[in-house]
Amino acid sequence: MFPKASPSELQGLLVLINEHKGTEDVARLADDLDLEIDEILPSLDYAETLGLVKVVDGRATLSDTGRKMLSVSIRERKTILRDLLKKTTLFKTILRALESAPEGKLTEDDVQRLLAFTTAPSDSYVLNIINWGRYAELFRYDSDEHVLVAVRSRVQGRSPPSSPPSAPGSPGARVSPTADNPVSDASNSPRDLAHPASTVAA
Amino acid sequence: MALIEVRDIKKDYPSHHGTISIINGVSFEVADSDFVAIVGPSGCGKSTLLRIIQGLERASSGEIRFRERLVDTVSNEMAMVFQSFALMPWLSIKENVAFGLTARGWTPEKIASQVDRYISVTGLVGFEEAYPRELSGGMRQRVGLARALAVEPAVLLMDEPFSALDALTAEGLREEVLQLWRDPDLPPEAVILVTHNIEEALLMADRVVVMSHRPSRVLAVVPVTLPRPRDRKSEAFYELTDYLYSLITEGSPPLSAPAKPVASEPPPAGPGDLQ
Ligand SMILES: Nc1ncnc2c1ncn2[C@@H]1O[C@H](COP(=O)(O)OP(=O)(O)OP(=O)(O)O)[C@@H](O)[C@H]1O
Ligand SMILES: [Mg+2]
Repeated sequence: MFPKASPSELQGLLVLINEHKGTEDVARLADDLDLEIDEILPSLDYAETLGLVKVVDGRATLSDTGRKMLSVSIRERKTILRDLLKKTTLFKTILRALESAPEGKLTEDDVQRLLAFTTAPSDSYVLNIINWGRYAELFRYDSDEHVLVAVRSRVQGRSPPSSPPSAPGSPGARVSPTADNPVSDASNSPRDLAHPASTVAA
Repeated sequence: MALIEVRDIKKDYPSHHGTISIINGVSFEVADSDFVAIVGPSGCGKSTLLRIIQGLERASSGEIRFRERLVDTVSNEMAMVFQSFALMPWLSIKENVAFGLTARGWTPEKIASQVDRYISVTGLVGFEEAYPRELSGGMRQRVGLARALAVEPAVLLMDEPFSALDALTAEGLREEVLQLWRDPDLPPEAVILVTHNIEEALLMADRVVVMSHRPSRVLAVVPVTLPRPRDRKSEAFYELTDYLYSLITEGSPPLSAPAKPVASEPPPAGPGDLQ
């Protein structure tokens, strides 16, 4: 199940709970923002799915990870989110497909097809999933071609010497703007992505 | 020494019936590391005042000083974030962030490294090549923020920056702005936030400048010393909220006798709504 919420809303929810010293009635949280409960439920559900919040008897409490997330910088929050998303079946499936896909690319239709096994997603559903993955830097997205691109290609042609030589073919040799290296493991150097020095773009 | 001094600013506009006074003598100071919120009814000249502070617009009288120096042209030490985000739809996120930097005479290398840095600190990595239309409101305002911060301003001027966002997103972004403001390694040093939302002012600011209906003046500068993060259901928060509302309602012209015969004057706002 995937929320109709955005990463920004999820983080807003965590901030809101934190204003209540980390635990509060869901109804009261909604009331704080003059919202109906069902307007914060998508964010709340997904926060729970990711293990950032626990909800018991209508009361939401930040987990250790949730608290941790609020104590770090905006940049580091994305790293935490990435690690959490990577453990979900949904993103595991997408990343696996992305690894095996020709040129490390998946179309929106491919994503839709992947999801069709378990759900009946709408268009916006797919776009929202893409948005989350993109925000968490699990993959890149080429909006001209509507394709997901494996993250390894972020370091296209500028791969630092220290990066593990895991991908078949030489990532260092490619310089095309929508670099198309096959990626063997999108997750083996997540730190690269968070590090500003390695995100110099094309 | 104050970081910014706003000294007896007045602003008039010519009209058919002579001049209309919008701002009628506003003074306050912004200290180093200060977070000042400006609240006031719609049309009282908040946006105009911000533009005057940055040097984008001239006051009819009075002066702005930044570190004691007169601001008589657009200040490089300040940058603005807008309610409408004000992004160029035909530019990528990266290019939007770089937009204000080209005028600074920096080398392309310096510009590129500034852009990367502020894309990173605002959480926009992954969207460098995206266009504004691909982004949610929250992400768009991060671009607005990155663009403003990339010039490394001492003072960030924010004109209702959260009003166009949904409530949860605004809640998250407010905290991110506070985080950036508090970080000694990152700009800005001080923030001036214009908002019509008293609760938002009290959630964020060290001090709240309360402006009257136009022709506006300062009704009060209210210090906010509540511990952060602020609990809006605490008694102290309620008391301050009530106090600010009472200031604004008492400071409003009575319904029957507008202070100035200005035809377009909106009716005075009731408590709870400054719009
Ligand atoms: N160039 C101009 N000529 C004449 N009047 C102007 C001009 N610019 C602004 N005004 C008027 O000055 C008043 C103050 O405008 P301003 O936008 O600064 O108010 P504000 O407090 O920011 O309002 P809001 O809460 O709606 O954002 C408005 O009534 C506006 O119509
Ligand atoms: Mg305004």
